[in-house]
Amino acid sequence: MVVLLPYLYTGGVHKHGLLIELMEDLGGYIIQKVVTGTEVNLIMLIPEKDLDVVKKLAGELLGVLMEAPLTGVEIAVVSPTLASHHLPHSACDVAEYLRHPGANTNMIGLARGMGRRVSLSMDYERKLINEHDIAVFSFGSFSDCITKKKPKLFEGIEIPIVVTGGPAELKTEDVPGADLYVGNIGRVSHRLRRTEEIEALDKLNEGVSRIASDIRKKQAKDPLAVLPARVMKEIENQVPEIRRVLSPAPLTLQLDGLRVKLPYDEFHEKIEKLEFDEGVVLSELANITRSKMKNYILIKIKSKSDVGFAI
Amino acid sequence: MDSLETFVVESAIESEQEFYRKIIEDNLASLKLAPAIGRIKVVLRPEDSLFQMAIILRDVGTRVTTIDIADVEAKPVAGEVMISIKKEQYIPELLGKLWERYGKANISQPDRWTVAITTDKPAEEAAFLKEMMVADPRHRLHENLVEFAIRATPEGFRVRYHLYKGNRFVFVASEEALKHEWIEEAGAMLEELMEGGKK
Repeated sequence: MVVLLPYLYTGGVHKHGLLIELMEDLGGYIIQKVVTGTEVNLIMLIPEKDLDVVKKLAGELLGVLMEAPLTGVEIAVVSPTLASHHLPHSACDVAEYLRHPGANTNMIGLARGMGRRVSLSMDYERKLINEHDIAVFSFGSFSDCITKKKPKLFEGIEIPIVVTGGPAELKTEDVPGADLYVGNIGRVSHRLRRTEEIEALDKLNEGVSRIASDIRKKQAKDPLAVLPARVMKEIENQVPEIRRVLSPAPLTLQLDGLRVKLPYDEFHEKIEKLEFDEGVVLSELANITRSKMKNYILIKIKSKSDVGFAI
Repeated sequence: MDSLETFVVESAIESEQEFYRKIIEDNLASLKLAPAIGRIKVVLRPEDSLFQMAIILRDVGTRVTTIDIADVEAKPVAGEVMISIKKEQYIPELLGKLWERYGKANISQPDRWTVAITTDKPAEEAAFLKEMMVADPRHRLHENLVEFAIRATPEGFRVRYHLYKGNRFVFVASEEALKHEWIEEAGAMLEELMEGGKK
């Protein structure tokens, strides 16, 4: 099986099409292309053995190629509410920083997550969070709240939980239910820009990348029946309507599936009947359901042991 | 009294104290309140879900009347009152008041420094306009203080008490029903500040 490595290319728009063509020739995947003015960001999966070829071309185009360990990971950044107490700082800063290494982030503001005794989450919100790969909860500055009161928001969350908060001396073990705690990112009313804040964000990115690679390692023991990136490419080829979607990531990759930003009722049959060269259709390899997010389509790919084969 | 001559934040855990000091500083800065505040003390007790704040305000500007910001001249022959503006920052408030009194049709602005009002009684209207109150910084200050208190308090603390009297402002917020002693404590904090406060 080909090993694909996630990389982010940043460079000028001029001739970047060459890179896209090269990826097609090599059998790599372009996950996301963002054009801003004269700059282009390409998030891609490159076959390991061809990395040098891509690096050479990137160098010729005077662009920068860097590793993006969170490529293909969809992260939920959960804030207790959408009030100005929590947003845009620090929750949005956290989401923005997680995007640097390639992750797709969604901000989720709970309806009633604020407070100590009164905070709670709804069934709908928990299901929505569970659609993601990793959840990052952005909490406040009181260690008493973080260790004793807020963890009830984790009930029913089945994906790995990362917690950010103010107190730097707390440890992951102190926060029941959390897989990682990162301090120094508490409630602030300014943009995170001081040295210790940026260091904390770097630490968060490292920690989240580690969790993502743990999930990948676990997955490698019983691989998915088909690579999410391959499903993505087939949807692009067989469902032309996806090109007219205006969302920044019409097809959002996850570690074990993908989110298709098309209305479920109109398109789910087309997605279910998606054909592969090997002669199987997608509904044999994956569960296709209605997403809790805006009536989109959610594809969760089954593992090889479930299906009996992998393509 | 200098601005922010006393600025105390108290909490059981020292690092949390610092976080809140920073939050309060940021919010004071974004609402441009720092020059108006003389002394401030905040006490946090997360284990009781309690936030107490006492503020002593400095003297803020007095009411602004038209004559402070413009020259008013009656023109009996033309049936007009001419207002020549000297301080532009109060124009929105001034125009709002004028529109209300004379109607938009009777007011023209030949250039950005001049407002002309058409009226039957220019002399009397000019006399009235000179003394008309255009803006009240105290009113704006009150709005900003309440906004500041809400922004600084932890979001879940929705049960609130506030008192604004003269140059004194007390604010208590909690998640639970407020206890009398909490408000009394905040009152005591205010007394302490009145006596000069401790650094």
